[in-house]
This record gives sequence, structure tokens and C-alpha cells, in this order.
Amino acid sequence: MDWSHLDLNPKVVAAVRRANIQTMKEILCLSGPDLQRLTKLSSSDVQYLHKTVAATIKSDPVVTALQIYNGECPFPTQKRKLSMGCPVVDSLLGGGIPLMGITEIVGESSAGKTQICMQLSLSVQFPCSYGGQDAGAVYICTEDTFPNKRLQELIAFQSMLRTDVPPDVVNNIKFGNNIFIEHVADVESLNHCISKRLPILLSRGLIRLVVIDSIAALFRCEFGVSDSIAKAKYLQKIGAMLHHLSHQFSSPVICINQIADVVNDSHLAQGNFGLLDKKVLPALGVTWSNQLLMRLMVSRTQLCVEGTFPDNKDCILNSGTVLRRMEIIFAPHLPQSFCNYIICKEGVRGIRKVGL
Amino acid sequence: MQRDLGSFPFPPGIRVKLISSGFQSAEDLSGVRATELSKELGISKEEALEILQIVRQERPGEESQLSARLPSARKYTALELLEQEHAQGSIITFCSALDEVLGGGVPVGKIVEVCGAPGIGKTQLSIQLVVDAQIPECFGGLGGESVYIDTEGSFIVDRAMDIAAAAVHHCHLIAESNQDEVQREAAQAFSVSGILSRIYYFRCHDYVELLAQAHLLADFLVAHPKVCIVVIDSIAFPFRHNLDDLSLRTRLLNGLAQQLISMANEHNVAVVLTNQMTTRFGQVQSSLVPALGESWGHAATIRLILRWEGKLRFASLYKSPSQKEATVPYQITSLGFRDVQSSELVSPSLNNGDNPRKRPRNDDDGDRE
Repeated sequence: MDWSHLDLNPKVVAAVRRANIQTMKEILCLSGPDLQRLTKLSSSDVQYLHKTVAATIKSDPVVTALQIYNGECPFPTQKRKLSMGCPVVDSLLGGGIPLMGITEIVGESSAGKTQICMQLSLSVQFPCSYGGQDAGAVYICTEDTFPNKRLQELIAFQSMLRTDVPPDVVNNIKFGNNIFIEHVADVESLNHCISKRLPILLSRGLIRLVVIDSIAALFRCEFGVSDSIAKAKYLQKIGAMLHHLSHQFSSPVICINQIADVVNDSHLAQGNFGLLDKKVLPALGVTWSNQLLMRLMVSRTQLCVEGTFPDNKDCILNSGTVLRRMEIIFAPHLPQSFCNYIICKEGVRGIRKVGL
Repeated sequence: MQRDLGSFPFPPGIRVKLISSGFQSAEDLSGVRATELSKELGISKEEALEILQIVRQERPGEESQLSARLPSARKYTALELLEQEHAQGSIITFCSALDEVLGGGVPVGKIVEVCGAPGIGKTQLSIQLVVDAQIPECFGGLGGESVYIDTEGSFIVDRAMDIAAAAVHHCHLIAESNQDEVQREAAQAFSVSGILSRIYYFRCHDYVELLAQAHLLADFLVAHPKVCIVVIDSIAFPFRHNLDDLSLRTRLLNGLAQQLISMANEHNVAVVLTNQMTTRFGQVQSSLVPALGESWGHAATIRLILRWEGKLRFASLYKSPSQKEATVPYQITSLGFRDVQSSELVSPSLNNGDNPRKRPRNDDDGDRE
């Protein structure tokens, strides 16, 4: 550590070197009296040392909330979000998925989680003016192999889904080239992928979306009931890495989680999530939930939708398309609400609540 | 501030060098760093540092710095302390039930810890408090400024705007119904952009940055004496990952707690910390407890635990030196942190899944006394 570019008295620097303190982090982790003892400096010197080191680490200027709102500050703007590609779902989400933070999509099997993630992997490739990020996505599969055929179908029908985008823009995007697919089979490989491969792709600007489908699969089979503490530690570590990458590169991280049935009437279990009317809980517990910015729950309803799609006469639904529901469980900027959607050949389409 | 350098107690040789290099007054030395000064004047770095320290300490206009450094060895009687506590005031939460339980609101000069599971409303309460701290005095607020230290990235400015707009609207309604000139003027001056401009936002990405911020906060509070609340949301997040050495964590948290307590006392600010919950494995069943360990539990003066019971949210006062333990219901609406209207307590279920917002859209938002 080169102490000379801090504004410090040379005798202080010498004392610090003598005490074998290597990094600024160590200085901050030592209390005033501890530092005094180690370096034999006076208390005012130690105070000045603390403040100088602190000012070097936190050298950015003060920002007010108004400046954040106006976009006048060094933080990435909060106004931009990643669009889902469907105006109804976007309006539920207040514009789309926030760019920084981990968003979780949880639900029963075949509720549509993978479909939603594939749609996001395509919508991220649109230019920023159309709600995308002008970059690709990494899709990490832990369960089945990646549904490539379905992806090709979605790509073929993108222009039908995204009627807000001029067709030449849609046709210019080489969707397939920008989706990087990784298959990971265990926690170690997931760790490796996140710590080594993702930073490279993100720093080169090739991707601006990370999808993990699903995070639950790895943790539920590798860790037994007695390994809860080890599991929690791993989850925290992975969550922290994803959080850090997401904020550093303004790239949303979407994690798919599974659900678990509520076995007993444990007051504790239900009380955590306010989901009393459901008989299911997200898997992975409160350790994982603490890392999330936003949680969306998707489910199948008992209803079916028939006939033509209200907004688009060209889209004729197969009889008995299952109506699904996307619900916001928690988000710092959105109320708990929901919208219905269906999955058709061009992808996920939300349905407005008119007449339902 | 335009004090001539010749009037400072420098040795004559230094004085000559300063003048010949073009430094005339204290202003000229204000942005200069010691390394630069030592190069320009051709003196050792130690001497340059001493020069700068003398100039900076003797700069006028820093009376607040002097008063803040007054040794607190003065003796106080209990009556004086009581009067001081009454005079300091508290910051309301807009949920009257919770304010009553807290004895008027979040008290200035103390540390309040808010614990709860994800999604329960800790960030919402934090944003509500940084807005409420700015409510003008004629409406019962403190008319101060706020500091928000964000470690998770969950401060979404649009939400802060909504909450601020609701608070402004509330004050307008009160001013209208009371027909008070003072209140009306204050309500005019109380605007959403004004509120946002008085929330100072700091983003800390890990515990080292948070520790650094805590060291810098004392000087910031001196420079901004109107700040009356400091929120750290959340204090648990940076200390719960990448920190395997638990004894280091305990030590750092204790040190941080001490710094915050002394800041709360010296600068008359309320400190609000949000904490996460973790599972404690018991003999029979596991329970959710506040994170960061047992010894952290002693750091805060007041501890609030937020939890779900079915579809309703409850806030429990878990620890307080002066108030009785109690539990009250609350809700989060589009306007922010609010009371639960008593009619809704009876039927908590959703009505035909149309609009799951519990609070019906009507105009009785402003009927809080």
C-alpha cells in the first residue's frame, strides 16, 4: 500500500508501516485506541488518520435525492428499467425489471418462469429507447437443457410480439448470437461461473442480463436438512457476488426459485411472507430472501382463455389456453398487486383486467 | 476567511516562501494538499502539513465545530436532562398507533433498530421517516434535513417522491382546515422537490465503505447542522457476507454502535438502523430472530420488530427504556407507512381479486389529528 498519496504526516506513515499495517481496510477495522496502541501515535493523529483514510475510500461528493431524481449524479439512472416486451406486464412492474438488484421469479412448475426469462433474454437486446439494454444475456441452466427450439420460435415471432418496435430494427438484431448459455450441475460450478465467467462477459459489455434457471435446484438436492448452515453460507456468498455484479454493471439478475409446500401449520413459516392464502412457500428460506430486491410469484389459475386476443386480431389463441397470474410479493417501489397473462407462440402477453 | 497569512504564527522563513509562491490569504490555501504545497514551497511534507493544519483550525466561521468539541464533562441534573429530552422532539411515522407506542415517534438522540423479514416494510418506514423529519415545525415536525445511507440499493427515488407528495398533501390539508396563516405559508414552502433536495444520500457497497462513511459522518453533521435523522438501510447486509471472522464482526459492530451513539448525542440526530432476520434453530422448532448476533442486541436503545400475521402487518416494540412493550397493526399504502383503518381489521381477505390494495381509495387520508 502506497501511503504517500494520502495527505499524511510522514511520521504517521512511518508509524503505520512499522506496525505492519498493509491496507486501508485494516486501518478502518481497528478502533482508535487499538491504532494508538499499535502505532504509538497520539489520539488526534489517529483521528486524522482515520478521517483521511475514510475520505480516500469514500471520495465521491454528497448527493441529494433530488439529484438522483434528475439524473445529475454519478449513480446510474433509476429511471431506466428492462422491459418485458409486453405493455401490461411492464405497467404492473412500474416500467419493467429494475436494472440493479436481484429479482426472483418463484412459482410452481410449468407456471411460465422459463418463458418469462427467455422473453427477457430477447427484450434486453433491443436498443435502450425500446426498453432494452442493447446487449445480450447469460442464461445459466441448472435443471433441464436449454429449450433451444422454443427460443428459435420466440425469435421468429419477435416482430409480432413487439409491435412497438419498427420491423427493420427487430430484424437487424441477431438474437441468437447474444444469448450465452451455460449449463451448471452443482454449486461449485455455479460459483465458478459467477466469479470467473460472468465478470468477463459483463465487463466487455456483451451482456446486460443474467438469468439463473433455477437457483433452487442446486441447493435443494445438494444440501440435506442437517446442512442448513453450510447452505445458508453458500447462498449468502453467491447472493453477495450476484448483488455486487448487478450493481457494478447495472445488469439485472433474475433468479428462478421453486416452491415448497407448507407441511405443518407452522405460524413461523406462513408469517414471514404474508402469503396466507397460498399453501406454498418459496424455497431457500429467509437467508436467500434477504438478498432480493424484488420477488414475483407466478402461478396457473383454474381459468382458461378462449377466442381472439383483444388487442391483436391476428393472434388467435388455441382453445383452452391457461390463464396465468403474476403477482408482486414484495418490491421496494411497488405495491402488492398482480396481473394475468397467457403464453402464446410469440411469448408472454399480459391481459388487462377489463372485463375479468 | 480572507485572513492574511502573515497573521498566522509561522516561522519567518516559511512566511517568506509562502508569499513568494503567491499565497496571500487563507483562502489561497483552501484547496491545496500537503504534497502539492511541499513541492511548491520546497519544504518537507511534515512542515506543509503543519501549515495547513494551523490555517484550517484557525479559520473563522467554524464556530459550530468549536461548540461541538466542547468537552461533555459538564454536570447535568436529571431535571435538566428531562427538559432537554422533551425539547428535542421526535419524528412521527404517520402511523398514529405506532407513534403512540413509541411515545410520540422516533426520538431524537437515540438509536432505533427496525428488524423484519424481507418485504415487511423496513425500507418503506425508513423512507417515511426521512420525509417526516422535514415536516415544518408548525405542523408538529422538526423541520430538519435527513441522511440516508443505503447499503442494499433499495432506495428507489420514485417511491420517495410518492411518499413526499403524500406528506406535502397532508400538510396542505391541515393548513386548509385550520385556516392558520403561519401554517399556510409553511405548507406553500414545503414541496416535493424541496424534500428530495434535503435528503442526503450515501451509497455504501460493503462494510469497509460503511465504516469509512461513519468516520466522515461526524464532520458532515457539523457542516449540516439541520440534519436531524440518519438512517442506515440496512446495517445487516454488508456485515453478513464476506465476513467470516465473527469476532471481527462483533468488534466492528460494537465500534460502529459507539460511534453512532455519540453522534446521536452530540449532534442531536435520531439514528435508525434496519436489520434483517435470521433463523435460530431451537430444540423443538426454529424461530426468526434479528440478525447480527446477541451482542448487537444491546447496541440499539429501542428495538422494533415488524412481522406478518396472516395478511396483516404488525409492529412490536420489543425494547425501550421508557415505553411499554406493545404491538400495533400498520399498513403500507401508496402514500407510505400508515395506520390500519379499523374497518379493515375485520375483513382482511381480498375482495374478488380485483384490486388487492387493502386500503380503499377515498379521501380520508387527511383525517389524522
